[in-house]
Amino acid sequence: MAHLAHYKEAHPLPFVITHWINLVAMAILIISGLLIHFPVPISMGIARGLHIFAGIVLVINCLVRVIMAFFVRSAPTAGTRETVKDYKTWLPQKDNRHQGGAWVKYYLFMKKDHPLGAKLGVPQKISYLLIPILIILMGISGLCLWAPTAPSGFCQFFLNLVGGAMSMRIIHYFGMYVFIIFLFIHVHLATAEGNEPVKLMFLRKEHGGLVYDPDKHVIVGEDKMEHLEH
Amino acid sequence: MSEATANFGLVDALEARGISRRSFLKFCGSLAVAAGLSATAAPRVAMALETELENAKGGLFPVLWIEGASCTGCTESFAQIETPDVGKVVLELIALNYSDVLCAGAGHSLEAAKEETIQNGNYVVVYEGGITQGFGSNTLRVAMETGEEILVHAAENAAAVIALGSCAVNGGWMAAYPNPAEATGVSGILKKHSIATPVVNIPGCPANPEWLMSVLVQVLMMGGAEGLLAGDVPAVVKTLGLNDEGKPQGIFGETIHDNCERRGHFENGEFVYEFGSKEEELGYCLYPLGCKGPQTKANCGVTMWNNRRSWCIQAGSPCLGCCEANPNDPGDNWVEVNTPFYKRDRDLHIGDWFFRPTVVAAGLTGIVGAAILIHRFGMKKAGRMDGGADFEPIRAWDAKNPDRSIGQYEYSVMGDPVKMKAAQEEIAKQYEVAEEAAAEDEGR
Repeated sequence: MAHLAHYKEAHPLPFVITHWINLVAMAILIISGLLIHFPVPISMGIARGLHIFAGIVLVINCLVRVIMAFFVRSAPTAGTRETVKDYKTWLPQKDNRHQGGAWVKYYLFMKKDHPLGAKLGVPQKISYLLIPILIILMGISGLCLWAPTAPSGFCQFFLNLVGGAMSMRIIHYFGMYVFIIFLFIHVHLATAEGNEPVKLMFLRKEHGGLVYDPDKHVIVGEDKMEHLEH
Repeated sequence: MSEATANFGLVDALEARGISRRSFLKFCGSLAVAAGLSATAAPRVAMALETELENAKGGLFPVLWIEGASCTGCTESFAQIETPDVGKVVLELIALNYSDVLCAGAGHSLEAAKEETIQNGNYVVVYEGGITQGFGSNTLRVAMETGEEILVHAAENAAAVIALGSCAVNGGWMAAYPNPAEATGVSGILKKHSIATPVVNIPGCPANPEWLMSVLVQVLMMGGAEGLLAGDVPAVVKTLGLNDEGKPQGIFGETIHDNCERRGHFENGEFVYEFGSKEEELGYCLYPLGCKGPQTKANCGVTMWNNRRSWCIQAGSPCLGCCEANPNDPGDNWVEVNTPFYKRDRDLHIGDWFFRPTVVAAGLTGIVGAAILIHRFGMKKAGRMDGGADFEPIRAWDAKNPDRSIGQYEYSVMGDPVKMKAAQEEIAKQYEVAEEAAAEDEGR
């Protein structure tokens, strides 16, 4: 047993919900988007309707998630029930300082033991921070391609910036692959060291493990959570 | 002037050419539609034409039709208007003082006529074809002058320039990669030489003759001329309803897709996947065959071609997007962004290396997927699958910089079985205390 304890405080209920919405909306967007790009019989009307709906949901969900980060408290690291305002877990944390190289080395098998860190490791935090940017860019490029919004000055500005609707279409299309690549890596790393993180994120199921002190920045014990077993 | 007199004048002129008033009104209706108005505006158009004819009395508005680097396709298209046609009559309301293709005259006398018109001012230039700046602009020379010099000279004194066809708008296919002639459109050249003459952009390859007709009618006969003569650009823009790209919004405001007769099949997901198939016979949507209708703005489906006989989509061809032409961006020309024509998206290129977007994107995704699979095997081999590797007892940086250490390792239990045991018991005790407290609460 080497991982840290998985407590609900790491992923408070509002963020579990936004994560679920992200998952469902992205799945709908990727499938319906592929059906729009590679049309099959009967699907077009449904695919377009779903795509636009899920796209709007994803953007709103993203904005809600970002705003909630300033109001909802969550654990700054795994293995603790202490909480801070969630946005602080997205900024550089003391637990992560000087650990970027260690994480890369660990992922590349050049380092044997697991780096200490905050709830999110350095590469993980950077890639997660890019997701809202990507969602907003996909939202804007999507609006530029949607007939009711495309003629607006806002969309025309971006269309002129990239060189027209065809370029925008390809950017939007490439964006989908960036999402797919992110999903590949995200699912791989979230499940590689066991299913406990997945159970916590989707089902809010806690799991015992090492206890980390976010003030002392070290592992200070182990919570076996044996009381849950009887 | 009474209406009867005016009507008499025009009807007289029309009847001399064998055209009934009924077909004249029909023509006015189609002009109105081409201009983006409702067909019910036909009487208004008719009135304007009649009034103009009555007022003209020989004082026709001079037009110079200048060929740039062109295939003369737009002229050909314009000349194919059937005869006798009212369009021709309307044309007789302008004085076509110069046209490389249509004028009977040639040589010095024609060039002299052109120069005279330019010196007199108050004329409109119809410019067809691109302007090639490469090779010292020497790829096009007429009467010793380069195409660029001819345009600049003619535009400086003109009331307006109508850039006819996609080449005139932004270089068209000539501006497509690698564009060795450095082709661009009228707007680009006028901007380069700081000439403020208003430009009306009518893209298309070729431009639909009815679009030009509609612009001419609007400019010369429906109130635009006064604005032109006064150099009042906002008035011209207002009359023609020009958008940010200098195109008449009524003609180029909606996509081909918006007005497509096959649109229902698109919504129903009824597509043609290959030419010669049953679906093609059924007249299904041509979207999978690379139709650029969804992103190409023009009212082809309304105006149609050759006197409303048919148009590309009705004839069974996917839209090639020939009206895609951004006057401010020669790179956004229809050939560059729409080829291959029968594919859904364009080819991309880095230098001379051309590739399909899907091949690169899906290829990269596949490589990442394979790398992840290998990484996953690595994780398993490294024994990290069950809970990850053991945690480092101390951060590498902290070990090197003990005076500025992040972690307070005196509290750490990692690698110390005695401390670990004590900590585990301490935490277990906390749960017991909490459970007892809860039981006590319940008992109370």
